[in-house]
Amino acid sequence: MNILVVLRMIPDSAGELQLAEDGRSIDREWLDFQLNDFDDHALEEAILLKEAGGAKVTAVAVGEGANRVLQMAAARGADEVVALQCEEDAMISSREIAASIAAMARAKSADLVLCGVQSSEDVFGQLAPYVGALLDWPHVSGANRIVANGAVLRVTQERGAGVAVTYELAAPAVLGVQTASKAPRYVSGSKLREASKTPIGRATPEPSGLERAADIITLRLPVQGGSGENLGGNAETVADRLVSILAAKGMARN
Amino acid sequence: MKLIACTEGHSSKIEAFSLEMIAAARSLSQAGDKVVAFFAGRDAQAASASFGVADQLIAACAATSDLIPAETYARLLRDVIAVESPSLVLVPYSANGLDVAADIAARTGWPLISYVNEIKRDGESLTVVAQMYGGKILAECAVGLPAILMINPGAFPEATPGPIDTARVRMIDAEPALTSGKVKMVAIEVPDYADVDLTTAERIVCVGRGIGDEASIDLARNLATMLGAEIAGSRPVVDNGWLPKLRQVGKSGQKVKPKLYLALGVSGAPEHLEGMSHADLIIAVNTDPKAPIFNVAHYGATCDLFDLVANLSDRLRAGSGR
Repeated sequence: MNILVVLRMIPDSAGELQLAEDGRSIDREWLDFQLNDFDDHALEEAILLKEAGGAKVTAVAVGEGANRVLQMAAARGADEVVALQCEEDAMISSREIAASIAAMARAKSADLVLCGVQSSEDVFGQLAPYVGALLDWPHVSGANRIVANGAVLRVTQERGAGVAVTYELAAPAVLGVQTASKAPRYVSGSKLREASKTPIGRATPEPSGLERAADIITLRLPVQGGSGENLGGNAETVADRLVSILAAKGMARN
Repeated sequence: MKLIACTEGHSSKIEAFSLEMIAAARSLSQAGDKVVAFFAGRDAQAASASFGVADQLIAACAATSDLIPAETYARLLRDVIAVESPSLVLVPYSANGLDVAADIAARTGWPLISYVNEIKRDGESLTVVAQMYGGKILAECAVGLPAILMINPGAFPEATPGPIDTARVRMIDAEPALTSGKVKMVAIEVPDYADVDLTTAERIVCVGRGIGDEASIDLARNLATMLGAEIAGSRPVVDNGWLPKLRQVGKSGQKVKPKLYLALGVSGAPEHLEGMSHADLIIAVNTDPKAPIFNVAHYGATCDLFDLVANLSDRLRAGSGR
């Protein structure tokens, strides 16, 4: 089985995000870029499938720091790693890159395309359904368990309230991964150093083929705070206040 | 113009956000417009008993299946779009919606905006506000019609449920599409709440990514015990295997409404807020003063969560000793 797994580098949204001067993008100069969390799980699931039944895993990365993350992917077990060129200092639109991923899936004779179910930059739509529709392959998003039995895939999907639905479908297929069957593995420094010799292929993007037809006019920060009371940053005073607040509601004794 | 509100359900139930999609479409409709509710599921009973606010209900039903897979749902919806030529299709941000919205967008070439919170209509064009970067940034987008919008649950109030006149219901047999579909449903598992049911818990202490590692969860668990609360986690914590899935709060976990919700190191991604923002009392502790959790918190603190847990535990221990 040939698996293509997509790794997108996105700004760390746990960090502080500032707006760029044009008001339509975020200031990317001092940002930390990291692998989209869901893509990390997609990579793990790809490697788990390889370990379970044998597969060739090709990892394609896009965005700032792609080379670094591809070395990590190789250290974790990817057989081939490719960096997809993208516009510098621009957000990664899944709608925009879907055609490139679809073309690569064909070129690599992929049986399975895995990517994270979503990314924090896919305001114009999610990658798995775009790629699936472009290839006219079945796609399932929100996967948290994938079992391959030859070309037959059993995919379990997370839905709300803990409900899980299992589907059966035949490869080729595209799956948007929510959670890998096991937490993403740790790779040692020595493995990383060894993997740093893995040659990184280059791919040039395909034209998206889909009209934009929607545009970001402006970005803004949400209005902060709501009506809540700020108790400050001193743990002792905060603890004192919380005990009184809870005691007033009969939820603690002070 | 026509607006299609996509609705969902499984078994004999409809999802509550279905009524929000209809309300959103209704709020955008003007004189002469038509709001069409599209439903796909086992039977149309619950939909026709509830979707009276819509002008029409198109229900694609298959008695043999408790749930219509998204691939089949999208194919049925595409056929409806071809016949109805809507200007706007509203899809909920749900497990099903994630597969449906971009699929339709790719096959029609229509624009799609995801994670939409607000919609303003100006004649034949829209301005929408969408969430990005875990709710830390709002994007105001201009959208030409026809278009597809994926709407955040909770962004619009639910339409008042009421029956729809049978004359306004069009039934479609979903059986052929289901049979020829490439994605077959083989099982639905509903969790066993015997162990823990967060939805009925009165007090919850929820840990987020800020808890750092598995060992630290015990500190929060001890605090929870002292407060008579259940311990819960946000998605990253559960994905790491630090807490069981039944203890996850949020979109893909449980929707809770306790009397006390103490969030420790939870940033408050929109998917998390969807599961807890209606709690009676929300106390949030996060070192990032811009964390979106503070937008729903009644009390917020920016101290180190471990310092807070230690101090609060000390005081509660002292209080109970008296």
